[in-house]
Amino acid sequence: MNDKRPPMSDRLAGGDRRASVRTVALAAVLAATIVAALAGTAAAHSGALRGTTRESLAIPTWLFLLTGGGAVGASFLLASFVTDRTLIAAIHEWGASVDAATVLRAGRHLARITGLLGLAAVLGVGLFGPGTGARNLAILLVWVAWWGGLVASTYLVGNVWPAVDPFRTVAGALPTFDYRYPERLGAWPAVAGLLALVWVEVVSPLADDPRLLAGTVAGYGLLTVAGAVVFGPGPWFARADPVARTLALYGAVAPVGRSQRGDADGSIRVRLPGTALRDLDLGAEPGSVAFVVGVLFVTTYDGFVATDLWAGVARTLVAAGLPPTAVYAAAYLVGFGLSYGAFRLAARSARRTADTYLTGRALARRFAPPLLAIAAGYHLAHNLGTVLTLAPALLSVLGSPLSPPLNPPTLAALPGWIGAAEIALVLLGHLLAVWVAHATAYDLFPDRVQAVRSQYGVTLAMVLFTMTSLWIVTQPYAEPPFL
Amino acid sequence: MTDSTAPTAPDSTAPDSTARPPRTALETEVPPDREAHRCERCGRPFAAAPALALHRGLAHGDDLDPAEREAYAAALDDERADLQRFRIVALGALALLYFGLLFAYAVFA
Repeated sequence: MNDKRPPMSDRLAGGDRRASVRTVALAAVLAATIVAALAGTAAAHSGALRGTTRESLAIPTWLFLLTGGGAVGASFLLASFVTDRTLIAAIHEWGASVDAATVLRAGRHLARITGLLGLAAVLGVGLFGPGTGARNLAILLVWVAWWGGLVASTYLVGNVWPAVDPFRTVAGALPTFDYRYPERLGAWPAVAGLLALVWVEVVSPLADDPRLLAGTVAGYGLLTVAGAVVFGPGPWFARADPVARTLALYGAVAPVGRSQRGDADGSIRVRLPGTALRDLDLGAEPGSVAFVVGVLFVTTYDGFVATDLWAGVARTLVAAGLPPTAVYAAAYLVGFGLSYGAFRLAARSARRTADTYLTGRALARRFAPPLLAIAAGYHLAHNLGTVLTLAPALLSVLGSPLSPPLNPPTLAALPGWIGAAEIALVLLGHLLAVWVAHATAYDLFPDRVQAVRSQYGVTLAMVLFTMTSLWIVTQPYAEPPFL
Repeated sequence: MTDSTAPTAPDSTAPDSTARPPRTALETEVPPDREAHRCERCGRPFAAAPALALHRGLAHGDDLDPAEREAYAAALDDERADLQRFRIVALGALALLYFGLLFAYAVFA
């Protein structure tokens, strides 16, 4: 007897199954034919299967249905020619088990390609596409897809920017001089870069002028790639690049992140949103706290200059003879300085309230990460409406970037609850921040009463931030004057 | 006088301190006119003896001698009492906040 033949029971079962499959298929073909014949040509546009294609058919309906049924029947007949048991088995056993690392690597390649294509689109369409902002893919890609979408995803889901970042991809392909990154600069170049980028965004029509946007992206890109070539991509993107640094910090708010334990290529870790902020180590690097405060500050500044209060102040100062740019710059730098000073003071006050010997710097480094939850809440509140309104425009312009529709569709009116949701998001960010500060204090101090007392200053700072942010969110948009 | 203590284990996480990422050493500074209760194991200074006793129990809980264990237990008792007092004050503050806002809404809204 042939050993390769399966046991009798299997053969019987297989035979039975085959017979029943054949019967079913024949019945289906017959039924389709009958239905088709009965239906006739009555429904002229029955091509609307699932309602997706609404085109009328050029052939009678019964013929259309018959063809479909016939194709299935023919497939069955063709399949029945394959009688080699080992071939059938081989087809079903084909495949490879892929470990998660391979999937991640493939995902990284995909992300890199997406990033490069996105950059090419921003530069190409920005420079040579239509001149109106709302019709230009570059504007929509940068402000809706990237700033509104991808940045929001870094704190809502997890930070994929290191993989997407086209400048990192480009820099990775270039040789590097590997000069030592000057330690004493620490995070200050990133602070300056962050303030500069947001400054350009606020005072120039970066959200309306595609040429300017493409130019700015190119300038930032050149600087970034040059920095990465000089100091090596690793130190540059971890320390000096403001964008990578901001998104890395936002990533610590997210529920998905790289495991921090031990090995560098660690596994993916799922956690409660914001909880990783307690363990975020800002390190002894100078300026790292200033950068966190800066991330929070810049989210409020462009909201602040769009309020009536600012418009009034700016008009008064300009009427008194000051140049508008200086007024904006002064408000910007003074605002940042005040926020940073207030935070350092608040953190340092724990030395007194909690009677601890930890330095003010150490306290600031541990109490700064909670601010990122506030920044994330504010970023989402600030951009949710824009993204929802302009998402249809992005999709429609994406279809034909070089000849977009004259008036790309936008969401005509946002539902009324969006305003309430924005306020809820700002509050949610603050609640999360208060909680993270609480957990951090418990991590820092052995005495629980001491831990509570250590939070007085930081809590006061957060209460003031909350009230400022809520005030800005509830203010009607006022066109910033003189810009 | 500024000194960085040797890598300090995070305090309140004695049971799973191995599962936590290593962290930059905690930076401490004892004012010259103050005395410091220094942890014999990791060198971290504390302003008060009870805080040190609690720190020992939380960060180095698995090798305490009987006297330290007793000090830890006593400090925990005191801490509990302090916490209880704080909770009463906090509850009072919450009530004040709640009724204050309620009145504010009743009058102004």
